[in-house]
Amino acid sequence: MVLFGLSLPERPKLSCRDFPASDRRRGPSHRTRVMDLFLQLLFTGVGIGAVYALVALGFVLIFRATNVVNFAQGEFSMVAAYLMVVFAVDLQWPYWLSFLCALGGMALLGVIFNLGVYYPLRHRSFLPVIIATIGASILMANSVLAIYGPQPQVLEGWFETPGIQLGPVYLDSQYLLIIAVTMVLVVFNYWFFEKTMLGKKLQATSQDKEMASLLGISVSSMIMITFIYSAVLGGLAGILVAPVLFVSIQMGSTIALKAFAATIIGGFGDVAGAIVGGLALGIIETFGAAYISVPYKDGFAFLVLILFLVFRPQGLFGERVAEKA
Amino acid sequence: MKLTRREFAAGLAVGITAPYVIGSAARAQGATIKIGMCVPVTGPAAEQGLWAQNGAKLALAAVNKAGGVLGKQVELVIEDDQTTNPGIVLAFSKLAAQSDIVGFLGSIRSTQVHAMAPDVLKLGKPVMIGGTDPNLTHMGNQWLFRFRPNDSYSGRVIADYGVKTLGKKKWAIVHSTDAFGTAGGKALASALETLGSPAVLDQGYANQSQDFTPVVLAVKQSGADVLGTYFTFENDLGIFARQLRQLGVTIPWVGSPSVVAVSSTKLAGPALFGTFGVADYAEDSSDASKAFGKAYRDAYKTAPDNQSAWPYDAITVLSAAINKAGSTEPAKIREAILALKKFPGAEGEYNFDQNGDGLHGYNVVKNEKGTIVYDKHIDFND
Repeated sequence: MVLFGLSLPERPKLSCRDFPASDRRRGPSHRTRVMDLFLQLLFTGVGIGAVYALVALGFVLIFRATNVVNFAQGEFSMVAAYLMVVFAVDLQWPYWLSFLCALGGMALLGVIFNLGVYYPLRHRSFLPVIIATIGASILMANSVLAIYGPQPQVLEGWFETPGIQLGPVYLDSQYLLIIAVTMVLVVFNYWFFEKTMLGKKLQATSQDKEMASLLGISVSSMIMITFIYSAVLGGLAGILVAPVLFVSIQMGSTIALKAFAATIIGGFGDVAGAIVGGLALGIIETFGAAYISVPYKDGFAFLVLILFLVFRPQGLFGERVAEKA
Repeated sequence: MKLTRREFAAGLAVGITAPYVIGSAARAQGATIKIGMCVPVTGPAAEQGLWAQNGAKLALAAVNKAGGVLGKQVELVIEDDQTTNPGIVLAFSKLAAQSDIVGFLGSIRSTQVHAMAPDVLKLGKPVMIGGTDPNLTHMGNQWLFRFRPNDSYSGRVIADYGVKTLGKKKWAIVHSTDAFGTAGGKALASALETLGSPAVLDQGYANQSQDFTPVVLAVKQSGADVLGTYFTFENDLGIFARQLRQLGVTIPWVGSPSVVAVSSTKLAGPALFGTFGVADYAEDSSDASKAFGKAYRDAYKTAPDNQSAWPYDAITVLSAAINKAGSTEPAKIREAILALKKFPGAEGEYNFDQNGDGLHGYNVVKNEKGTIVYDKHIDFND
């Protein structure tokens, strides 16, 4: 197959022609296998999409509060995964304790990040802040590289059982956990932002800082809380995905790129959009890879991104980026 | 004494330029022999870069201990190639600008060697490489010398072992879509056709994938009874191996060297047990390989693999060639490298052909519960 001048290997043979002739004659059996395949891909797509959604959520929260895209969001995931390796593998602490300590470490990183990167530049335009977040991401990646070395690390999952076979579909226990955590966070975020005073203060800050300040809300405290929450969310994503993707310096940037695309698809600035955008991206790239072309898997994700930017720049749920800017 | 403005200006100019003039004169005389090395210190292959540096430094220590080169100590000048093509071009240009560097070590990644090759040709100094795309030594660049067997051999060895030793005929090929993976996949497909067992699936994937479910399902649905792979990055291989086993694919697997690399074995764990790999470096394949293995373990407290073995050989051979040539003149070094016959190295016995290929066969090894066990060596005369 030749596409855009590139010679590609043949796509995966997943059409009915690729099943044995005997299977094709047995129509229902063939249809069952196609359905099995579909369900397996759907599960994987939702699982990987949930990872993008978690990181995208961090992007959205910071953008809502500060009007700035935090390009170090992916590195939060990487740092948290390495903290887990330090606590759970190197120091042999219990998994739950390591988990809590890693999230605590991320909260601290959120504070440092806010004070060191955002706060000094808070009165400047968005561009210096964005560049500062890129610089911070490079600093974090290279700091971990210098401290821990380039070797990828193995982090075991939360469960001893790697997965369960549900009929024809294999459900990876780590992906199940990721999906469950994402669903819980959807509910939690709704409750937090809509039903609690702190959530409403955060929303007010994100919508109009001056008005929020006039109403007695401490804007700088709200922004600090947002950075802490985003760092913890990014860290949570990193810890959850580490047993699947291994712990490496690049893991954050790889996920963050897709999460950024998911944020735009869902609508920059919308919590529900981040979740839906992440899940949609995971499903689209998984099915695109399986049914059209594996080498162009990433291409599908970014093609969808381009289509959204051209035809619906505000994303599925969000307001127009131009308005926000 | 009154100093005129002209004398002051002249004195200032001499003062500023003197250290450089004296320095360059000293460099021209050369207190040491310098070898440049482009290696990933950062980026996705930073880990492999560390192994490569370890191997090179081990060889350097041995060469210097034995008296050095042309009576001088050898010095390694390292530049980070960032695991990218622009990165290696930049790294090589920095090294090439240092006129006292007599030879270089390039990349183990074919795509990066392709990127730097035009500059190598322009510079006209010997560059040792580990990239295994067969084309690299067949594109008219006389300054590239390969220290690993190329993929025309690996494809033939994988096919030969799977078809003749394991008795498997229905092959699924999975390979990365970079220069290394594409060339390797083609070589394997071609070798299988020659043996009368054309592949039932030829599946490429992009490097740095987070999920291989579509690839694994394609293998599963193809009905293949044996799997041949060319993975560029161990991280990708680890994820693929785990998902392959989780989704119930248990067919025999014969892979390129990355399948038996130290990192892959560690990352994938039991998912790679029972797999076969072609390996340019196998510790039990020769006395020289055993000696390197022991020296490496003593120095770094970990097992070596091809990532460290080829730079070790590259430094050793380059140093031996310069000593044999009695000169650091590029053309004489080239002649001396090509004249080396039956030179024992960690990767095997070097017999350079006119294209610059030093090795002409592969070892077959097996992962037996995490231990890489040597099976046999297959060499080719063509």
